[in-house]
Amino acid sequence: MTLHDQLLLERTRRHFFRDCGAGVGKMALLSLLGEKAFAAGRHHAARIDHVIYLFMAGAPSHLDLLDYKPELQKWDGKPTPESILKGKRFAFMDSFTKETPKLLGTRRKFERHGRSGLWVSELFPHLGSIADDIAIVNSVSTENFNHGPAKLFSNTGSVRTGRPSIGSWVTYGIGSESKDLPGFVVLQSGNRGPRGGAALWGSGFLPTAYQGIPFRSVGDPILDLSNPKSITADDQRQTLDAIQDLNRLRHETTGDEEIRTRISAYEMAFRMQTSGPELIDFAKEPRETLDMYGAEPGKASYANNCLLARRLVERGVRFVELYHADWDHHDDISKPLDTVCREVDQPTAALIKDLKQRGLLDRTLVLWGGEFGRTPMGEVREKGKVGRNHHIDSYSLIMAGGGLQRGVTVGASDELGFSPAEEKIEVHDVHATILHLLGVDHMKLTFRFQGRDFRLTDISGRLLMKLLA
Amino acid sequence: MLRGALLWVVPLIGLAQQDVFFFEKNVAPILRVNCHVCHSEKNLTSGLSLETKESILRGGNRGPAAGLIPGAVKQTGPLKMPPGRKLSDEQIAILEQWVNAGMPMPAALIKSKRPGADHWAFQPPKRPNAPSVRNAAWAKNPIDLFILQRLEKAGLNPSPEADKATLLRRAGLDVIGLPPTPAELAEFLSDSRPDAYERAVDRLLASPQYGERWGRLWLDLARYADSDGYTIDAPREIWKYRDWVLDAINKDLPFDQFVIEQMAGDLLPNPAIEQLTATGFHRNTPSNYEGGIDFEQYRVEAVADRVITTGAVFLGLTLGCARCHDHKYDPVTQREFYQFFAFLNNVDEVDKEAHRKDFNKPFLPLGTADELKRYHAWEAQLQALENELNQYKDSIPGMGQIQDPGVIERDKHIDAHRRRMPKITRTLIMRELPEPRQSYIHLGGDFTRKGAVVVPGVPAALPPLPGTGGRPTRLDLARWLVDRGNPLTARVTVNRLWQKYFGKGIVDTENDFGIQGEKPSHPELLDWLAVEFMERGWSQKALHRLIVTSAAYRQSSKLQPDAKAVDPENRLLARQSRLRLDAELVRDAALVASGLISLKVGGPSVYPPLPPGANSVTQVKREWNTSQGPDRYRRGLYTFFQRSAAHPALILFDAPDATVTCTRRIRSNSPLQALTLLNDEAYFEFAQALAGKMLKEAAQNDPARLGHGFLLALSRPPTQREQARLLKLLSAQRDAGKDDKSAWTALSRVLLNLDEFMTRE
Repeated sequence: MTLHDQLLLERTRRHFFRDCGAGVGKMALLSLLGEKAFAAGRHHAARIDHVIYLFMAGAPSHLDLLDYKPELQKWDGKPTPESILKGKRFAFMDSFTKETPKLLGTRRKFERHGRSGLWVSELFPHLGSIADDIAIVNSVSTENFNHGPAKLFSNTGSVRTGRPSIGSWVTYGIGSESKDLPGFVVLQSGNRGPRGGAALWGSGFLPTAYQGIPFRSVGDPILDLSNPKSITADDQRQTLDAIQDLNRLRHETTGDEEIRTRISAYEMAFRMQTSGPELIDFAKEPRETLDMYGAEPGKASYANNCLLARRLVERGVRFVELYHADWDHHDDISKPLDTVCREVDQPTAALIKDLKQRGLLDRTLVLWGGEFGRTPMGEVREKGKVGRNHHIDSYSLIMAGGGLQRGVTVGASDELGFSPAEEKIEVHDVHATILHLLGVDHMKLTFRFQGRDFRLTDISGRLLMKLLA
Repeated sequence: MLRGALLWVVPLIGLAQQDVFFFEKNVAPILRVNCHVCHSEKNLTSGLSLETKESILRGGNRGPAAGLIPGAVKQTGPLKMPPGRKLSDEQIAILEQWVNAGMPMPAALIKSKRPGADHWAFQPPKRPNAPSVRNAAWAKNPIDLFILQRLEKAGLNPSPEADKATLLRRAGLDVIGLPPTPAELAEFLSDSRPDAYERAVDRLLASPQYGERWGRLWLDLARYADSDGYTIDAPREIWKYRDWVLDAINKDLPFDQFVIEQMAGDLLPNPAIEQLTATGFHRNTPSNYEGGIDFEQYRVEAVADRVITTGAVFLGLTLGCARCHDHKYDPVTQREFYQFFAFLNNVDEVDKEAHRKDFNKPFLPLGTADELKRYHAWEAQLQALENELNQYKDSIPGMGQIQDPGVIERDKHIDAHRRRMPKITRTLIMRELPEPRQSYIHLGGDFTRKGAVVVPGVPAALPPLPGTGGRPTRLDLARWLVDRGNPLTARVTVNRLWQKYFGKGIVDTENDFGIQGEKPSHPELLDWLAVEFMERGWSQKALHRLIVTSAAYRQSSKLQPDAKAVDPENRLLARQSRLRLDAELVRDAALVASGLISLKVGGPSVYPPLPPGANSVTQVKREWNTSQGPDRYRRGLYTFFQRSAAHPALILFDAPDATVTCTRRIRSNSPLQALTLLNDEAYFEFAQALAGKMLKEAAQNDPARLGHGFLLALSRPPTQREQARLLKLLSAQRDAGKDDKSAWTALSRVLLNLDEFMTRE
């Protein structure tokens, strides 16, 4: 019996076989050990093999970056019409009930970029320069106006805790191609961790083998990756060989195939000990590449993480999620926004360019965005400064990669950027589309828990047809 | 037709037959064609069935239907039925007349006929007769007869009993979560009395470590953690509840009382401190305090979680499915979800903006009489200051409050007073509001969309609450859960215990005894155990003893080729199963092998070494001051559990993440587990200590030392091949110039990484 067959016999078999479609469960199990999945496990031909989700924690101000609203400019400083606010709920409602908030036009210049003529703000010069390679998705809406639940929703399709994250669903569904790295890797930069912590990349009711594994860009990339002090590589190999031999003897005695899985897990752990340090060692990256990203070896930064994301994808990792804080600009939408845009613009554009020049962009999805957007109304918390509040009815994402239109804007908000003007694009739709690109039907990827077949997209999710190439 | 109807509306006694005729001829066709597609007993859209008089009177999520029907069909208000079209005037008139006449219907349509009430799990368990078997001599107690009967029917034989050493290690790991020490093992092996094993089991059940082992599993259900979750994830003091669980299990508090105290200890007459502490069970829900939230939303979220948890833990029902709509499979309507919700909706928790320090109220302060006196004086002073502030605020008009110097001054003063809170242990408890909150059906599960008002009640498919006269309380619910007539609680509980001992429950879907759940593999055994459990006074210890001393439990776990072909999943139990240890137990077993373990029971959670950077992923950086001294070596269940960055050694070995109730742990097998056991600072320290014991405690020769290491780590001597292999490693280490300490550490690292080490055989 092979390792995979053995895994199939583990206790979740009932779940795997029920409704997942032929072979999907098997694919899922492969990712446990990072073995290469075969395409037969998917529901249809995949357009991409990898996802890099650049999660902008705190919620970027789409109205100052990607969703250009000349009409809002004209209304700048005027009280928000009551008809728009009626029946809406906002975070920090109290500040709105005291005084009608004033509309706030952007202070940033927008220009058309590339042959496609996408509108991008001056805060994103590098992203503007690759406008023809990206798609801007406007008028995305979400369900909850607080960071924690909204981040959960973006990641798990539910504002409640306890559901698997999208990276877990994907590795559960189709496994990974990496033999010696986990299938779902989480990176983090910025001044603090994302609100919600481990629940954002947790596996929920799926086996824990599918949870996202946080990597660090300095020190040990994976916890406990280094040998204990005083243990040499030879010592480690000797010890491991003895463990494996004794486990084989135990397998002979008991006949339990689980022991063979354990033997494979230990082999992979040993391989990870070699591949991990190699992964984060940028020594072989040419100077131009480092400069393109703005990466500095040995530093914990978004730029380094973008480069790391490319290296992970190159090594077959299925799903990379990269968190960068902090975009929560309530008080001041001027300098603090400049700062974080400077941190993010160049590396993000570099990642897309780098993937493209290596031929990887055709098989990778790069998704950039936060948990919601920010209000067309200004928020004044301190005299002389203006920021924007949380806004869930319409915000923007960037998507680029295989199977997608390039140089297009999909979806549109109304003239003031308040609500969708055309179709409403929901988070579930984005999830459904990501799964579709990976060759997975979001309606068929299910897991039975507490008497119900759960999906990433719950009971919703439509493909964003206008976005698909 | 109208003429006939007009005649009929004159209310005449004795015309029942005529009423029925009118209904059959005029009303029923309208309902059948226009209404029943959505509003039937089977398809309860919006919780409403228009099939029976009872269901119409009860109504759906918008309230009783009789009063709504005329307006809805006339389409004068917001509710317009049927959707997208309108009945004819004549049809509307008929319906209106029928409603006005009190909706006469044939006898067969008076009572609601909810499907699912005949489901096996909703029938009270009855003690079945023990079946007769051919090989009765094998049986140690009635459990075995039920198991053997099925094996014999399938033409299978049970496996031989596991050898004594395996048996003691198995029972130790299962009952107290710790492997035996070499001395305990030697004593057991030399005990030739026929009941040596039963005596050993009794010793285990009497040990305080039994409460730690089974208490921890109860904490899985309680979603216990030491921080409050969501984004702030601040430390939360509720370890007193954890200690209460351990203590109650050690005392063998009867399970019915165990449940009542946790669900509603605060509502018992003159509740003792312990009974209040017990109510922490439902206070382990995560809490959200990030800026800009609606506090009521997260309070509602917690109450819904309590409904779902209560359903899963005691009833084995997926009540959560009925939060937004009626349950798709089980006889639980959305209305019934909110009736259940109404029991749990009256706790004095924050539901609007409050001071940060009060977020987790209500608390129970605990301490000596003096400490409590100081605390209460402080609390009274705080209350007085706040009252004074509010009075002052009332004297200032609207917007001026924020900048008013008097308010600012008073706020400062109050903050200073809060900082002077006397140091005291507190724990989160349930405390009922003087007046219960109004509970509603939340349309679509949305707390802002309030439907019909509901009062507390239990699903109609289950036995009714005993009449209490007034509005039923959480205490009534608690008593109903453990009432002898409740068909689910005992079954669900024995099944969960069974699951831990055999790897699978008799009902494989341990949290779903509903219509979609798996059928029991041994229905009669399940019922026998449930009845036995109740009749033995709900004694958990008695149940454990019964299972652990059965012949079925004592079988070898070695694979049986014959049985595998017939029963690949081992549902019939022709052998025991090898099960990887729970997360905490992997640590505990290494602590025992290394001799480092501290067996202190209870107290605040502790901070064993954490790999650098493990908690760097949270929004708020939390200190992790690694414990020194014995607290560094406490059992895994005492490790401080930070929800947003739980200790990786726990999470990687599938400890639950404490966001929702966990009724079964998954057993995964991953490379990251290998990295932890091979390289983690804590495990390396254990390996070094184990090497130290091998060098110090055994005779001064390699085979004796190795033998001692095997006993410490695996509770058995090595085989010849194992010994040869490890002595080879030893000599390789020596050839590489390692000193004794290092070379033996290499060997102990092998032992602590073996599959067998982390497996209950």
